[in-house]
Amino acid sequence: MQPAYAGCTFPALHLDLIMLFFRRTLARFFIPLLLIVASMPAHAQDRAAILTEICSGDFAAQQSALGQLASAGVEQGETGASWARTIVDAFEGRNLRCGDGMAVIDGDAGAVMAGTLEPVTNVDSASLDAPSVNLRLRAVAASANAVLRLFTEMEAAERLNAANYIDQRREAATGTNIGAALERETDPDVRAVLITLRASLLMSDDDPTNRIVAIEAIAEDATLRNRTMIAEAIKTETDAAVIASGEAALADIDQTLAIGQVLATLYAGASYASVLFLAALGLAIIFGLMGVINLAQGELIMVGAYAAWFTQEAIRVTVPGLLDYYLIIAIPISFLVAALVGLIMEVLVIRRLYDRPLMTLLATWAISILLINTVRVTIGSQNLEFHQPGYVAGGFPIVGDFIMTSNRLFAIAIAVLAFVAVVVVLRKSLFGMNVRAVTQNRSMAGAVGIDTRRTDMMAFALGSGLAGLAGLALSPLYNVNPGMGTGFIVDSFMVVVLGGVGSLIGAIVAAFGIGQINVIIEPIYGAVAAKVFVLLMVIVFIQWRPEGLFAPKGRR
Amino acid sequence: MAHDQTAARVDRPLLFRIVAGTLFVLLVSLPVLGGPLSGSSAGVSPYVANIIGQIATFALLALALDLIWGFGGILSLGHGLFFAMGGYLIAMHMLKSGYVYGGVTPDIMTFMGWSELPSYWALFESFPYVMLLILVVPGILAFVYGYVSFRSRVSGVYFAIITQALTYVAMLLMFRNDTGFGGNNGMTGFTTLVGIDIGAPSMVVGLATTSVLVLLVAFLACGALMRSPFGRLLIAIRDDEARLRFLGYDTLWPKLAVWCLSGVLAAIAGALYVPQVGIINPRLLSPEVSIEIAVWVALGGRGALSGAVIGAAIISALKFWLTGFVPELWPFILAGVILLVVTLLPNGLLDLKLTFLRRASTRKASARPAE
Amino acid sequence: MTTMAARQKPAPGAHAIQIDSLRVAFGDFVAIPHLTFIARYGEVHGVIGPNGAGKTTMLDVITGKTKPKKGTVRLDGTIDLLGLDEPTIALAGVGRKFQKPSVFEALSVRENLETALRLKPRSILAELRNWGDPRRVARVGEVLNEIGLNDQADLSAGSLAHGQKQWLEIGMLLMQKPKLLMLDEPVAGMTEEETRHTADLVQRLRSPERAVLVIEHDMGFVEEIADRVTVLHEGNPIFEGQMEDARQDAQVRAVYLGR
Repeated sequence: MQPAYAGCTFPALHLDLIMLFFRRTLARFFIPLLLIVASMPAHAQDRAAILTEICSGDFAAQQSALGQLASAGVEQGETGASWARTIVDAFEGRNLRCGDGMAVIDGDAGAVMAGTLEPVTNVDSASLDAPSVNLRLRAVAASANAVLRLFTEMEAAERLNAANYIDQRREAATGTNIGAALERETDPDVRAVLITLRASLLMSDDDPTNRIVAIEAIAEDATLRNRTMIAEAIKTETDAAVIASGEAALADIDQTLAIGQVLATLYAGASYASVLFLAALGLAIIFGLMGVINLAQGELIMVGAYAAWFTQEAIRVTVPGLLDYYLIIAIPISFLVAALVGLIMEVLVIRRLYDRPLMTLLATWAISILLINTVRVTIGSQNLEFHQPGYVAGGFPIVGDFIMTSNRLFAIAIAVLAFVAVVVVLRKSLFGMNVRAVTQNRSMAGAVGIDTRRTDMMAFALGSGLAGLAGLALSPLYNVNPGMGTGFIVDSFMVVVLGGVGSLIGAIVAAFGIGQINVIIEPIYGAVAAKVFVLLMVIVFIQWRPEGLFAPKGRR
Repeated sequence: MAHDQTAARVDRPLLFRIVAGTLFVLLVSLPVLGGPLSGSSAGVSPYVANIIGQIATFALLALALDLIWGFGGILSLGHGLFFAMGGYLIAMHMLKSGYVYGGVTPDIMTFMGWSELPSYWALFESFPYVMLLILVVPGILAFVYGYVSFRSRVSGVYFAIITQALTYVAMLLMFRNDTGFGGNNGMTGFTTLVGIDIGAPSMVVGLATTSVLVLLVAFLACGALMRSPFGRLLIAIRDDEARLRFLGYDTLWPKLAVWCLSGVLAAIAGALYVPQVGIINPRLLSPEVSIEIAVWVALGGRGALSGAVIGAAIISALKFWLTGFVPELWPFILAGVILLVVTLLPNGLLDLKLTFLRRASTRKASARPAE
Repeated sequence: MTTMAARQKPAPGAHAIQIDSLRVAFGDFVAIPHLTFIARYGEVHGVIGPNGAGKTTMLDVITGKTKPKKGTVRLDGTIDLLGLDEPTIALAGVGRKFQKPSVFEALSVRENLETALRLKPRSILAELRNWGDPRRVARVGEVLNEIGLNDQADLSAGSLAHGQKQWLEIGMLLMQKPKLLMLDEPVAGMTEEETRHTADLVQRLRSPERAVLVIEHDMGFVEEIADRVTVLHEGNPIFEGQMEDARQDAQVRAVYLGR
């Protein structure tokens, strides 16, 4: 309500009279009003204006009012948003009544002035009209309500709901009010939604500069979802600068995504390789030492996984508070149980079959059948349920869409642990020395007094224990059931054959190679093709180098 | 290494004759007992005849493995591959001939959505053509794989593992529907073979008799072959291949020859087996099946053809009998049998026989065929 | 199949086997750093040296089992053995008796000898068809006499005593009438009597058209049968000449009697 004549010029004729007239009107009407208005807090002036608009029957005005209400939180923070929300709630609920130059909210405790929210007593709210709300307005109002909730709700979950709602119904959302909400927001989940929301709102902003800003903001988080968003936006874009910015952003994202993809593949390959390595490590030690190929190695893996499950169940029953740590506690248990089974195998069967590797193949296969069917008959064929402790769930987002999942990390960690332990044992312990001696020259080792039988027994136990660890490592990753070992056996053999019998480094390199190839080929051509390829590769390689990658030197 | 008499190493002549005689008697009596006498108390029902026929094909398969393992010292854990090959070839023939001559659309066409059979099915309705393929295709595969492996001196355990891996991969491939051989449904729905209805009792008995006949012929032929200088060469390769090479023999070729022969015999066994069970599916390619073949040979006695036949017969008979009423027990029994044989009877059941048939003057046998 | 060089008639005194600048290494381990060696037709040439001196490795190179890093190996002065595979080298006239007796245990003595003769070197098939060839039968009879195993002819080779197995192996080598006969520790594990029998056998193997290489530890045995001796130490030849002189040589004594 400002004096209308500011800055105008009038014809010289009757200037004084006219000036006098206006000055008097001003003095009588406007200046008091001005004084009253000026004495009101700034937002009160806006409130009044908003209320006038919303009370008018004019659809466009009402929409505009709702828009302003939605943005109440921008400059006036929580208080403003809180007031605005009350108004919107009242509007939606048809409790807002207007008439006689005022607006009143009909509440449970009686009527309050809409502008001040203070109770009024001398107003019959029933006699005032509630402004009409058509479908369209209802949608806008609901959206505005949601926006305002971003400012007023204490619980992050509520705000998240509001944010997700706004994502679907954006009628009252603008870059500005969402931006303001974002600035106040602390919860990461809500922020995530708001960031995307604001960016996409800004992308349809009228000002091309804002659109470019929006694109750049979105491009910072290089995910496939954002890429699609930008790609869609520039399809309908007309401004050349914006298009250029969009394409540059896409190129950047693609690059990051590609890196992420490569890393993700490497990572998946590394985790599969870790499991393979653990499975093959035991096999390599046993074969290198005793020339025994253990077809029951897969079942020892299964034993390790089942041991982990039993540990979980035991903890659940006795000390449920420690349930999350079952994986750690199971490390020695899986190892020992599998080692024990291996020991029994060695003493009862393998020991008698030393110089007959082909017979050992058959015998170990029989043992594998025995193990699988015993488990099947006693425990059952169903997949076992594993509790996922926090440290194995989720992951660390690294680059692009690549998330370093914790369950794979666990497998890799176990593999590294096992490798280090084995190296230490082989190099530093007496037992390890005996093992190396017997591997290199059994008869000489025996001749210098090494108990070769005992060494064999302990080495077999070690190899079996390692398989048990493999079972533990893969329990968060793969299905655990009686037949799970058979899937790993062929691959483990390939690792040993490729890597060179008895060579630790060979096992690592071969496991990594085979793991990576599997992971690379599988998504494109399928798991079967991957296996075929690996097999053919190994066959060809063996032709050229029958002793494997890193065969132990010297004559056997 | 073997300390027993020379002649014993191929096969105890007495045992050989016993087995051959038994087969002959079986061959002659089966058509009679299964045919006109079928209904009587002395007769043999088509069901029993069918079982005998299946066992005969297993025995042939065991014979094939014994040739290369017992005599050549080459263990294959993937012989199921050749067996299955023969099976798939005959299956394709039966389906095609049923389609072409009998107008019966094979399930596989409906399943795969084919309006006609792919080009490689051409001529499959011809029995002679399929017979030829059964000899040639497995032979070529065996040749290629054998050549590549033997030439680079892949042997022993490595060779065994790779054969297992190959068969496993073949199984995975065949389980896929898009490979075009029926996927995990395999092929079934056979109607006729050489014009006779597959299910007819005369056909059942006829197939069983044919199986026994083929087994007998193969048994006699392989026996003769192993007693010949070629057999001796194989044994020399088994015992000390390096030595033989130092005597001037390129061992690649004898090994390759026996390997191809073995593959073809296994395929023939498969071709006889599938019409008798009425279905073929990729489960035949599983590692378990191939390993079981080795178990038959190990149980019966490696390096003795009669041993292979006896081992296969005993174990399959046991399996048929037991899975009839306690199927869950079978894996345990099989595992137990293997462990027993391997630890206590290194030469399989032959070890028991050797104790009986030995002459007092010779040394105690701790006969161990070289690995 | 690989072609076989024509078997020329060897001239006594000529070089049967000629090794030049041979270097053999297995990974980091150098078995033979630099070896030059000659054996002549009509001679029995002993090769002695402590364990690990490279004696067996040398034989491995000649028969094609091991590939050297450097050097040449020539038979008869012209045939380069390094490019050939084992069966071809064997057919070219090189016979080797292994350190541990390697006969075919499951075959009879007679069958072992039969297998050792290649009448049809170009074709195994032809060989098998001509197994009963009278020449083979005759030759087997001859050799059986030579090695003195007539009575055991139809027993399985596995049932022979250790010494008998060694003779059988030598007999197998004789079947082919090799130009170059290499014996790797032929009397290892033998009794006195067996050693004497073997010494006789080796003497009878002597022929102007044959070079005999004997690798041994037993100095007495070598002294008895060898015309010349080469002493190897860590893959290097440290002495070459007569046995008596070898005993006197300072370096040889140092090597054998310890440092």
